[in-house]
Amino acid sequence: MEFNKENLMRVINQGWTNFRRNSWLAFSTVGIMVLALLIFSGLVAFNVVSQNAIASLEEKVDVTAYLKTEVSEGAALEIARELENRSEVLFVNYVSRDQALEEFKKRHEDEELIQEALKELGQNPLQASLEIKARETAQYASLVSFLEQGRFGNLIDKIDFYENQTVISRIQKISSGLRVGGILVTLILSLIAVLVTFNTIRLTIFNQKQEIEIMRLVGASNWHIRGPYVVEGAIYGIIAGLAVLIIFYPIVYFTSPKIQAFIPSVNLANYFSNFSGEMLVLVLGSGISLGIASSLIAVRKHLKI
Amino acid sequence: MITFDKVIKEYPPAPRLRQGYGGQATLLRAGNGNHGAYRALDDINLEIKDGEFVSIIGPSGAGKSTLLKMLIREEAPSSGRVLIDETNVAELEDGQIPHLRRKIGTIFQDFKLLSQKTAWENVAFALEVIGASVQSIEDDVPKVLKIVGMESKALNFPHQLSGGEKQRIAIARALVHRPKILLADEPTGNLDLLNTFDVIKLLTKINEFGTTVVLASHNREVVNSIGRRVITMDKGKIIKDQEQGKYSI
Repeated sequence: MEFNKENLMRVINQGWTNFRRNSWLAFSTVGIMVLALLIFSGLVAFNVVSQNAIASLEEKVDVTAYLKTEVSEGAALEIARELENRSEVLFVNYVSRDQALEEFKKRHEDEELIQEALKELGQNPLQASLEIKARETAQYASLVSFLEQGRFGNLIDKIDFYENQTVISRIQKISSGLRVGGILVTLILSLIAVLVTFNTIRLTIFNQKQEIEIMRLVGASNWHIRGPYVVEGAIYGIIAGLAVLIIFYPIVYFTSPKIQAFIPSVNLANYFSNFSGEMLVLVLGSGISLGIASSLIAVRKHLKI
Repeated sequence: MITFDKVIKEYPPAPRLRQGYGGQATLLRAGNGNHGAYRALDDINLEIKDGEFVSIIGPSGAGKSTLLKMLIREEAPSSGRVLIDETNVAELEDGQIPHLRRKIGTIFQDFKLLSQKTAWENVAFALEVIGASVQSIEDDVPKVLKIVGMESKALNFPHQLSGGEKQRIAIARALVHRPKILLADEPTGNLDLLNTFDVIKLLTKINEFGTTVVLASHNREVVNSIGRRVITMDKGKIIKDQEQGKYSI
């Protein structure tokens, strides 16, 4: 069979006709594909939630280095500049002694006892500090040792890293665990979904084993036999993909506020409406390729001459 | 012209396991022949000229169907040559087999219609596989349906047709691309007497248009009524070849 427009239209037509005439079988196959794609989309959503939750936790982690009271502002700013030049540092914020006092006063505005005590003291008891934010949680340890063992070691009084250390390492463990786990679960469940879909399409085509044999006896080329099945598989994929989007988006909009109440930084509804184009391509694309690939593999078995 | 040249078809013995004493399995060989292999065709030499009407007769298992299957390469000979004109069918590559089959029309005892397609679509399918245009399909299919007398049932599915009607559709499909050769493997095996003679009448009519017809049958009345060349087979061998034969086993 040559590839021209007429033959292509013929194959597409036949695929569509097969789909209509097999409506019962088609319905159940599409149903299985919908389940498979829903699992897939659900995993995408789960990964979005978990990544966002981790990111928001990580954002809260920082380290403050308190400078000795005799360190001049110039020296402090030099340390800050040095830190900012390091690649793992996101930003450094210098808080001078006066600023620290201002903030302290503001924070304890209503507590007269503290205000009184400060006045009584007559001088500023607070230290200047550097708030340091690293790009990744894992980098704090090396930053801290740079500060302690470097040439600024004698200017620094203490670093609150050690108080934060347990929290930091726990977040690190959870986040890497969730990342690896998410990928693993996605892979395994997707594999199961693909196998179930493939098997369903295989059974659909197995039903037509005799038809394929007859086509071969009449002299149909392999592509002429395969073509309509491939088109049928693609139609399964398109319908299943659209159905999944129709089911998935309302669920997202419904659950989004509930998840946001739990983890405020995660807005699923926003995320998926921003990426609706990508979701359309992803879900439809995986549906269509799943349908086509399953059909191709399933027909192949019956095409031996 | 069709030529069979020293064609032998052997099937390997089917192994069977028998549980022996002490749990030992013994391999048994099934079938006849010296080494347990089963010979479906045994040294066939045969020539069929263009435009002939040949009936091949013989009891079940004589090798009639195998002989026909050789021509469309559903089976390949174990040794020997099967020639259609100058082409040795036995040596065709897989990709060329569909081209061979498109030049030959085939009718089977069990009709082999595509159950998902209407009568019209079944006939049209034979044209689609050779890449015929939509226009020529729309011209030719009604003509052939009219020849076999089925134009009123064109839109029925096979399960809505009687045995005789199904076979007419199968004949229409075998004819529509105007093959030079028409093979009919027990085409009347599932039909009543009336339908049987209708089908035979159609086959002789097709032969009169110049198509070579090879008919395998074990129906005495059918073969005797045709009055053309009869080849008698038994146990894989040709035992008789008569220009105007009768069924005589």
